Amino acid sequence: MDYDLNEEQELLKKAAKGFLSKECKPLFVREMEEDPQGITPELWQKMAELGWMGLIFPEEYGGIGGSYLDLMVLLVEMGYSCLPGPFFSTVILGGMTLMEAGDEEKKQELLGGIAEGKIFVTLALTEATAGYSPERIAVKAEKDADAFVISGTKLFVPDAHLANYIICVARTKEGENKEDGITLFLVDAKSQGVVITPLKTFAGDKLNEVVFNNVKVPKGNIMGELDKGWPIVKKVLQKAAIAKCAEMVGGGQRALELAIEQVTEREQFGVKVGSFQAVQHHCANIVTYLDTSRLMTHQAAWRISEGLPCEREIAMTKAWVTDSCRSLVALAHQAVGGTGFMEEHDLQLYFRRTKAAGVYFGDADFHREALADVMGL
Amino acid sequence: MDFEFTKEEKALQEEVREFMKKESTPEMLKETEDMGDIYGGPEGRKIIRKMAAKGWLTPTWPKEYGGLGLSDVASYMIREEMGYHGLPFGFVAAHMAGPTILRFGSDEMKKKWLPRIASGELEFALGYTEPQAGSDLSALNLRAEDKGDYFILNGNKLFNTSCHIADCHWLACRTDFDVAKHKGVSMMIVDLKSPGITISPLITMAGWQTNEVVYEDVRVPKENLVGEKNKGFYYLMAALDFERMFPLGRYHRVFDELVEYTKETIVDGKTLSKDPLIRQKLAQLSTEIEVTRLLYYQLAHILDKGGIPNYQSSMEKTFATECAQRIVNVGMDILGLYGQIKEGSKWAQLKGKVEKFYRTSIVETIYAGTSEIQRNIIAQRGLGLPR
Ligand SMILES: Cc1cc2nc3c(=O)[nH]c(=O)nc-3n(C[C@H](O)[C@H](O)[C@H](O)COP(=O)(O)OP(=O)(O)OC[C@H]3O[C@@H](n4cnc5c(N)ncnc54)[C@H](O)[C@@H]3O)c2cc1C
Repeated sequence: MDYDLNEEQELLKKAAKGFLSKECKPLFVREMEEDPQGITPELWQKMAELGWMGLIFPEEYGGIGGSYLDLMVLLVEMGYSCLPGPFFSTVILGGMTLMEAGDEEKKQELLGGIAEGKIFVTLALTEATAGYSPERIAVKAEKDADAFVISGTKLFVPDAHLANYIICVARTKEGENKEDGITLFLVDAKSQGVVITPLKTFAGDKLNEVVFNNVKVPKGNIMGELDKGWPIVKKVLQKAAIAKCAEMVGGGQRALELAIEQVTEREQFGVKVGSFQAVQHHCANIVTYLDTSRLMTHQAAWRISEGLPCEREIAMTKAWVTDSCRSLVALAHQAVGGTGFMEEHDLQLYFRRTKAAGVYFGDADFHREALADVMGL
Repeated sequence: MDFEFTKEEKALQEEVREFMKKESTPEMLKETEDMGDIYGGPEGRKIIRKMAAKGWLTPTWPKEYGGLGLSDVASYMIREEMGYHGLPFGFVAAHMAGPTILRFGSDEMKKKWLPRIASGELEFALGYTEPQAGSDLSALNLRAEDKGDYFILNGNKLFNTSCHIADCHWLACRTDFDVAKHKGVSMMIVDLKSPGITISPLITMAGWQTNEVVYEDVRVPKENLVGEKNKGFYYLMAALDFERMFPLGRYHRVFDELVEYTKETIVDGKTLSKDPLIRQKLAQLSTEIEVTRLLYYQLAHILDKGGIPNYQSSMEKTFATECAQRIVNVGMDILGLYGQIKEGSKWAQLKGKVEKFYRTSIVETIYAGTSEIQRNIIAQRGLGLPR
């Protein structure tokens, strides 16, 4: 057993921390929450130059050939700094789906573009039914000669406003088995009939409504096989779930630091508030939630990296980290007191983000139910 | 990173499991449960001595003292399996006093005691707590008077659990009353059959026994002093660090049996395992068991790297024991009215195990340092908050 990051991962962590502490200060995070784009081209280009967008793509597609575990290291730091922008949607939702299901030509064309920071891709999965099971996929794609026509509304689509391509998860066949009959389409975001409307969200990230008004997509833009898209979606969802956990762990680390900073400085009744046992026990609980979330995330990411069976660990981890990181930020607020409730205090950034991260890709109940299946209950 | 056992560790785990399944007897299982998992009863001694002969009781110890020089991961794994398979797993001599002697004892002391501990021949009882010294062990005042070649001991110990079945007392006593409290404590090994020792039973709500122990002019040879005189508090703290790890195995087993029960039990025409609330609860516990596993082996990993776990031991102990309580509480809820019925009745479910462990579980967050004390340690030692 070895619980430690390797040397390169430690270096990556340090470099990312250094870069983000300069380029992604809390003030910038707040600006980007209000900014309609949610990212600046300058920052995005710098990230591309560091090789982040191509970190997990194989070298033959213009990437660096890093592992999922390397990506996790980066995501923890992104969570720590509340990095805004489309990294998650483009690299994980877009890039990973392309890696799983894209044909050679698409991979050559798009992964390289993503790695260079020139192309944005997102995944249009959820709908008004707001969930991550195949039963909830109702947007239809109907065959029309050499093309398919997509109609319906996708909701909560991250960064669609920036996307060059939207991977749309659509129903191509109705039947008893809901996992069957789902197909992935690579849709040019400028196609006629695509209407994108941003949603105002409480974490300030950029989610959109994407309406497909009879959008025509050539047959060649099917990713993977017709009707057989769900297993791909499921794989991507699992990786995305753990990626969100990594972000939450990074955010949790910052929340702990903010709490410790405050309780070791603030005095009441003539002593540091951190010397009160009630406060100390809050802090002990915070670090327990944090350490356990980190350990679970590391283990799940390691299993994904190694290609080991991991359905069980993924379900456990997303459930655990979702609940724990939410609780830990709330406890941090309690320890910090009224100051932390002010907009200008950074803790509130994490309070909002952690809750949002918790509901993406299945909340704790969803994953416990998935785990119950794995347990044969 | 790597979160799995090595090939060798996996092979060892198989071997250990085989051994435990083969050598366990109903008598041993009953004795262990009745005594609250401690070591020293006649049935336990039989199986543990066989296990110890393989080096499995003290696998990390050097070969010369009866160990195998194995990793701490291997050692933690064996202890987990012992709990899971119903063997005694609370060892004072092998797992608390022994490692402390190994670190601080003289060569003579090591040679005299360690091989007999490693072979399972000797068990110790923990002798810290006194009526006025619970969480605050620095308040202990069982008096040891220095008489040159020997000490004379007088005073009371409370909740000293294994004294009625162990061979020796791993005793904290006061050798100097005139200095700061923690600077006048010494550790000694006392033969529990020494004249002047009176052991009286205290029966717990879990049905098993702990003891009150009275020392009246008990004579202890100087050679039984551990390390240096008046440095005992330091050794005691080290021994507590060895104690503060909690293998969840015993409760993990209860959980696994509970899961099987929900798969087999039909209520209102469907199995309990299909009830959405029960599914949520069991999935949550299963997750917490996994979290405990990671915290537990983290300790071994730190030791194997040559480090000493800091606040992580307190975190593991607290998380694991609180998880144990949640397991049996959910267990009682799932069994419902049946949960009350004790072993022996034809209506008892899971041999009444759940109610039995439900009762035992209460003390897990109290002894070896309460959860509150552990959280103090996490906050002060781990996060550097002011004392
Ligand atoms: C069944 C059983 C077996 C035992 N076996 C042994 C044994 O073999 N050998 C041995 O030496 N001892 C043994 N003990 C003693 C055990 O270690 C103590 O009970 C334990 O350390 C707590 O001490 P206490 O019971 O005196 O509680 P107290 O110390 O009186 O604590 C009462 C409450 O106050 C809280 N408290 C105390 N101090 C603080 C503080 N500084 N900060 C916050 N909260 C605090 C505690 O957390 C607890 O909630 C055993 C106890 C039991 C019940």
